[in-house]
Amino acid sequence: MTPDMVDMLAMLTPLLAAAIQSGAPLLFATVGEIITERSGTLNLGVEGMMLCGALAAFVVSLGTGSPWLGALAGCAAGALLAVLHGLATLTCGGNQVVSGLALTILGVGLADTLGAGHIGQVAPGFDPVAIPVLSSIPVLGPALFTQDALVYLSFGTPLAVWVLLFRTRWGLHLQAAGENPAAARAAGVSPLRWRWIGILAGGALCGLGGAYLSLSATHLWTTNLTAGRGWIAVALVIFCAWRPQRAMLGAYLFGGVMALQLRLQAMGAALPSSLLLMMPYAMTVLALVAFSRAKSRAAGRNLPPAALGVPLAGPQGGEGR
Amino acid sequence: MPLRLVDRTKPLPWGGFFVATISLAAALAVCALLLTWQGKPGLHGVWLLVDGGFLHGYALEDAVRKAIPIFLCSLGVALCFRMKLWNIGAEGQFALGAVGATAVALRFGHWPAWAVLPCMCLAGAAAGALWALGPALLKRRLGVNEIITTLMANYIGVLVLQYLVYGAWKDPVSFGFPMTELFSDAAQVGLLPGSRIHYGLLYCVAAGLGFWWWISRTRLGFELVVSGENSRAARFAHMPYGMLICLAMGGCGALAGVAGFLEASASVHRLQPSIMVGYGFTAVVVAWLGRLRVPAIAAFSFLLAGFRVGVENLQIELQAPAAMAGVLEGTILMAVLSGQLLNHRRLVWISRRTTP
Amino acid sequence: MRAFVVALALALLACLPMQAAAEDMKVGFIYVSPVGDAGWSWAHDQGRQAVDAMDGVSTSYVESVPEGPDAERVIAGLARKGHSLIFTTSFGYMDPTLKVAGQFPDVTFMHCSGFKTGPNMGNYFGRMYQARYLTGLVAGKMTKGNIIGYVAAFPIPEVIRGINAFTLGVREVNPKAEVRVVWTKTWYDPALEKDAAKSLLDVGADVIAQHQDSPGPQEAAMEKGVYSIGYNSDMSSFAPKAHLTAAVWNWPVFYTEMVKQVQNKTWKPEALWWGMDTGLVDIAPMGPMVPQDVKDMVEAKKKAIIDKSFTVFAGPVKDQKGEERIKAGAMPEDKELLGMTWFVEGVVGSTE
Repeated sequence: MTPDMVDMLAMLTPLLAAAIQSGAPLLFATVGEIITERSGTLNLGVEGMMLCGALAAFVVSLGTGSPWLGALAGCAAGALLAVLHGLATLTCGGNQVVSGLALTILGVGLADTLGAGHIGQVAPGFDPVAIPVLSSIPVLGPALFTQDALVYLSFGTPLAVWVLLFRTRWGLHLQAAGENPAAARAAGVSPLRWRWIGILAGGALCGLGGAYLSLSATHLWTTNLTAGRGWIAVALVIFCAWRPQRAMLGAYLFGGVMALQLRLQAMGAALPSSLLLMMPYAMTVLALVAFSRAKSRAAGRNLPPAALGVPLAGPQGGEGR
Repeated sequence: MPLRLVDRTKPLPWGGFFVATISLAAALAVCALLLTWQGKPGLHGVWLLVDGGFLHGYALEDAVRKAIPIFLCSLGVALCFRMKLWNIGAEGQFALGAVGATAVALRFGHWPAWAVLPCMCLAGAAAGALWALGPALLKRRLGVNEIITTLMANYIGVLVLQYLVYGAWKDPVSFGFPMTELFSDAAQVGLLPGSRIHYGLLYCVAAGLGFWWWISRTRLGFELVVSGENSRAARFAHMPYGMLICLAMGGCGALAGVAGFLEASASVHRLQPSIMVGYGFTAVVVAWLGRLRVPAIAAFSFLLAGFRVGVENLQIELQAPAAMAGVLEGTILMAVLSGQLLNHRRLVWISRRTTP
Repeated sequence: MRAFVVALALALLACLPMQAAAEDMKVGFIYVSPVGDAGWSWAHDQGRQAVDAMDGVSTSYVESVPEGPDAERVIAGLARKGHSLIFTTSFGYMDPTLKVAGQFPDVTFMHCSGFKTGPNMGNYFGRMYQARYLTGLVAGKMTKGNIIGYVAAFPIPEVIRGINAFTLGVREVNPKAEVRVVWTKTWYDPALEKDAAKSLLDVGADVIAQHQDSPGPQEAAMEKGVYSIGYNSDMSSFAPKAHLTAAVWNWPVFYTEMVKQVQNKTWKPEALWWGMDTGLVDIAPMGPMVPQDVKDMVEAKKKAIIDKSFTVFAGPVKDQKGEERIKAGAMPEDKELLGMTWFVEGVVGSTE
């Protein structure tokens, strides 16, 4: 190996570690939004739910000294905000796109208003724990297995959700609510209940994604801590074709390209930073186009749930406006 | 539960108006509560908000100025919504419009106003339209979801603007700060005589009339509305569905581009990164609130603009946090949205004996 | 009826002067970010609070004002509400301030970090680069691997000037060291800023400096067990083991002085660029890990800057290509410093 290659290899481990870390909040939120959309509801309020989750997690961890309670509070805050989305879209039959946007605007406003007093404080958060044996695997070990507890949780979440969605009766019911509510109802499954479950579970995971930012990525709270990551998550859901296992690919690809452009700068690449910063966004579109081309071969596999965004008709739900 | 929601056979007469009024009142009440919770006079705060946004000559002028870009972007987004296209890329199209207009202004600034301004407007519209056509073509040819492409195009569009302003277009006498040189007098859109409102208002009137005429009086406009409501029927009727997609997206891009041109030329008189303040996202909200009705879009643009202006008054007088604007806007939206329920449903008490 | 009108007019007239006398002088501030950003606007707001505590003065502020047409409206709003002195605290407010100053000739305007003045508008800034230079000295002494990382927001002259002064300080005590710059293109994304710092740690940096508002980079340095240098305020509470020192703003001294000048009618529209001698810019107390001889050396240099026996950016200063940009023996002109868009020798990175 030439010295250059040794250098590149030495950079690979930190790059992987960074990709996993900056991908983790995206991963939680993306998987959460996948659950929501699989159950038939589009929720564009991810950014607002994440930010409220980040604040709640920070405040509770600060108050109790326990980051785990903080993370739980983050989930609760995300789910609580999601209740508003459920009320507006399921109970009142409002438009899902607008309700989601309103949720983002409201959530960001609320978190920034309520959190003003906590800026400049440091809360107890999660710190990296090396897993014995596994962390000594060359190159991959340090990147994958010297992370903090929430990152390990982020490895398991997509897998667990995949099992729940595709290998359990509950998952089938939830998907039925998103694919064909009328048939679900005929089969004795209440689409309304499963859409509520989808919205709440999704909100909780988005809140957890926010909690990652204020407890793991940093141990801080500041205004607008999420800085647009919620929107990236919304895009990644489409990117990974509503499949939780592919969410890992999307989140790590995006996080990795972001981490890569920073490292290219640090290594002294004399490229304008605006162009480098375009990379993650351009890559996402390019990868999507590549998937779309492959799609003709696997027709129908990348389609959204058939009843996504379609309000429930009949006595239990509203009518679309 | 004996309470049941029952569909109204026909919507409440004037229902939309009542719902909007009640929702507005509810949102203001939430704001008052939040202010009171922070130890500030809540009701007085609401008064300051309304007073600072609508009840003075200068406040009205400010609200109209702020409403102009929101209106143009919303009109475009509404067009896409009618086609069931979720274009959330007005932000990026706005940025490219400003870039296109600035390219003309910097190169041909020495031309007389009657020559350079139309060129800037066209360049802005064209740049915005081209930026929107990318996602449109990807959708049409490859079926790529437009939400993701327009969202990514927003980020890239803003970075294109930054790249130019931090690089090639940087004003040599700005001490290296990221802004282009001031546009020549000819390249600046002026003010309506006797006011602080710029001629952009006339662009809005023209765009609004043109939009209305096109949707309700032309065949293509009719086809657009129909195919939005039922794309399969549209295909059966041999309507040019693919072209309509491009038309709606391109139209939206052009309108957002003109908004970008006006912000650069009439308000800031140069291009700088801070002209991007999220009008593209506000537009999605306004477009939905206003549906396809031009007067409603205008009214909601004005209302939201006025509240944004009013929140500044609230800040000056009560030192309320700026994030309050978000709480207010979010609450209004949620309330209006949920209020739709009352418009189309009514609560009835069903006694247990009659329920089977 | 007429008698009533006359009486009313008299009553009003009687009220007016009394009200004016009882009324405080109103001072307005506009900020580009939320005051809670823990950085730039927060530092200015400390100054506002000091002004608010003065007798006979009240203050208001508007936060998160974008630097376009919105700024013009807010500044005019403050003027209309009877604020007699208005501070606009970001570069992009320059033209709006100038425009509004023309419409309100009786109000005094002061714009931060720009270069335009008017009959009733002055501008002001602090020579933060002097503090940056001192922190550079500390960094240069404390680095072992001779790579220092610098996380920076946007390539504007203020930031570039700070990086250059810092690098001159580093190279003064350690000519072999280099300063690597990563741009984040954001002021407020702690997680991204932290990752930017990590990217610098990955290429071997063992001191992290920052021109960002959040303490994210400080955390990264502490977790890696290396040193850091803060900005805006003393950031030692975020990284007690890593924090060597910080380049800090001390806006109360400036704002209270300006208010006094306007009250005493001694205010003049000029361009003020206050240095370390006024206390507007300073460095935070150095941490316990900094050896005493380094502390003494830095203190001595600080004294030399204050009594003007030493000038940062005194020639010769070379750029990245080795070209001499400030001639040997020449003193840098303020204009040159204000518009700095090139990196000095020793910086690894691009100004684009």
